[in-house]
Amino acid sequence: MKKTAIDQLHELAAHLMEKGTLIAPIKEDAGFNFREISDAKNVDLTFHNTIISPKSAFFPQMEDFVRYQTGKNVPEAMPVELNLQPTFLFGVRPCDVKSFQIMDIHFSGTGAADPYWRKRREATTILGYAFDLDAPVQAEEFYRTLGIGAADPEGSDIFMIRKGEDLLLKSITPRGEKLLAQMSPLTEASADEEKYFEDYIIRGRDFKTRFTCVDDKTVAKKLENIFHNSDFWTKVSSACLSCGVCTFVCPNCYCFDICDETLFGRGTRRRVWDACMFTDFTLEASGHNPRTQVFQRLRQKVNHKYSYHVRKYGVISCVGCGRCTRHCPVNIDIYSIVEAALKV
Amino acid sequence: MAISFKQIEEKLKTEAKRLLKAGTVSVVLAYGKGYDENHPMPYVAKNASDVENIVFNEFCTYNMARYLVRYPRGTKIAIAVKAADSRAVIQLVHEEKVFREDLVVMGIPVYGMKNSKTGEEIDSRTTCGLYNPVLYDMLLGEEVHGQPVVSPYDVLAPYEAMDKDERFAFWKKEFDRCIRCYACRKACPMCYCDPCFIDQNKPKWGDKSPQSSGNLMYHLTRFHHLAGRCVDCGECSRACPVNIPLYLFHKKVARECQEMFGQSAGMSIQDKPVLVNFRVDDSDKILE
Repeated sequence: MKKTAIDQLHELAAHLMEKGTLIAPIKEDAGFNFREISDAKNVDLTFHNTIISPKSAFFPQMEDFVRYQTGKNVPEAMPVELNLQPTFLFGVRPCDVKSFQIMDIHFSGTGAADPYWRKRREATTILGYAFDLDAPVQAEEFYRTLGIGAADPEGSDIFMIRKGEDLLLKSITPRGEKLLAQMSPLTEASADEEKYFEDYIIRGRDFKTRFTCVDDKTVAKKLENIFHNSDFWTKVSSACLSCGVCTFVCPNCYCFDICDETLFGRGTRRRVWDACMFTDFTLEASGHNPRTQVFQRLRQKVNHKYSYHVRKYGVISCVGCGRCTRHCPVNIDIYSIVEAALKV
Repeated sequence: MAISFKQIEEKLKTEAKRLLKAGTVSVVLAYGKGYDENHPMPYVAKNASDVENIVFNEFCTYNMARYLVRYPRGTKIAIAVKAADSRAVIQLVHEEKVFREDLVVMGIPVYGMKNSKTGEEIDSRTTCGLYNPVLYDMLLGEEVHGQPVVSPYDVLAPYEAMDKDERFAFWKKEFDRCIRCYACRKACPMCYCDPCFIDQNKPKWGDKSPQSSGNLMYHLTRFHHLAGRCVDCGECSRACPVNIPLYLFHKKVARECQEMFGQSAGMSIQDKPVLVNFRVDDSDKILE
């Protein structure tokens, strides 16, 4: 295990930038976000969590596939190559690390592998970062309900815990071990610090976010049973504006649209995040729209995460990070909806 | 005089219950409990037993007029409105999206409202800064007097001091942050177009991808679609997850409209909408 002083963080960041691309939290006007770092001094670990989830490191909001030119008899088209350097995703909270494993199901685990997701995943080393267990719990979060601890290292290649003015780093995977051994700005941690690290992980499992003790299959079954209870769904969605904030900040939403955007004969075919909360998400070419009502769209979102996903893949597609609740303009809380559904 | 939020809440509950029980209305648009006290939600009460969940506190910033257009004509609706919200109701009546005879307007005179996400006080910097509703059938509290009257346009000064290039650079930087979640248009009581121009495919008016060109197209068009219609409730900016100060542009256009036509959106039920009402002595400045 290694360590560094928090105020020497920029040295660690600069070291990783020499090795490749560093994606880390920085403070922006509206709050923190993961961004590709161009100045090592900008890396800032004083965040609680970011506005947009780190899924954008593997599944950016916009991904160019093909560039083309129109106007000739045969359009010219060139695929856009992904030239990836080794990438370091730095400071990811345990619940968000878990989200990558769930997203892997869709982008590489069901037979049809998405090359963009897969290549980015392969190129990326994840440096997870435990939540601060001494900070007050945030009202929106509920990752404990989904079986995730505040300091779970699983899924990270290297896991980091803050101890006072130091940052402790421990390798979790062989990949992390190799990287950690090469990181020259770090010093060896003491046996006491090793113990602190291990204890912290255990303490993290007792860190109490909102919690409902219920297994995935029971939730899924219950939601299936009340699918046609439109009174319930109308009631819980009555405030919903049907905007896309919840899905865009979500670490587990993966719906996208593919569009051709052309200007003066030059165009790009690209994939852009889409949202099941948008009216035109289900609009068919015929003009028919199977989900015209707000309650149908919110029901779809909740069911996809807590019911269909369990039935198809055996796991809830939510990690309880609380972003959707925190950023919803009208304070809709998916946890409260599921809790209410269980009581119907 | 301090605002008693609890007293307003009680009056809101009493009136909502009375109107629903008497069958005067079938829907009450008010505020309800959220996941904690600091995060109330827009709330729809449809029967007397729903009324218990109604709350009112300083975080009930929502403009409930946004929800009016969801109900078919003829639905009798009681709506709780603060000052700017009442202007939205008037504007929607002007545009014949709702009808005055279908509405019972429950006015809430209030100041010192706070953003539930940031805890910041909401005042004339981001909204029209009025304290008393412009239109109401009943007032759930005492009219507010003696509070400082601040022009909602004062906040524009530093931006108006910029030259054209600086201002363009400012807005470009702001719009570059946009993630195209469309929370602004969805929170806006005046954005009721179905479909919104930006969702149209044929013709396609702007790119879907969150880049400068499409973002600029979306926001500038939306700004202009709201010219003379925006009631300065500030909901678009409050809804924005990346803090784009959309209210600045709306305020600028609203002031131009006030200066040219002597009228602000939704200030009087007797007015005609500025873009509908032609008067011979109208300003020609717009053509210059």
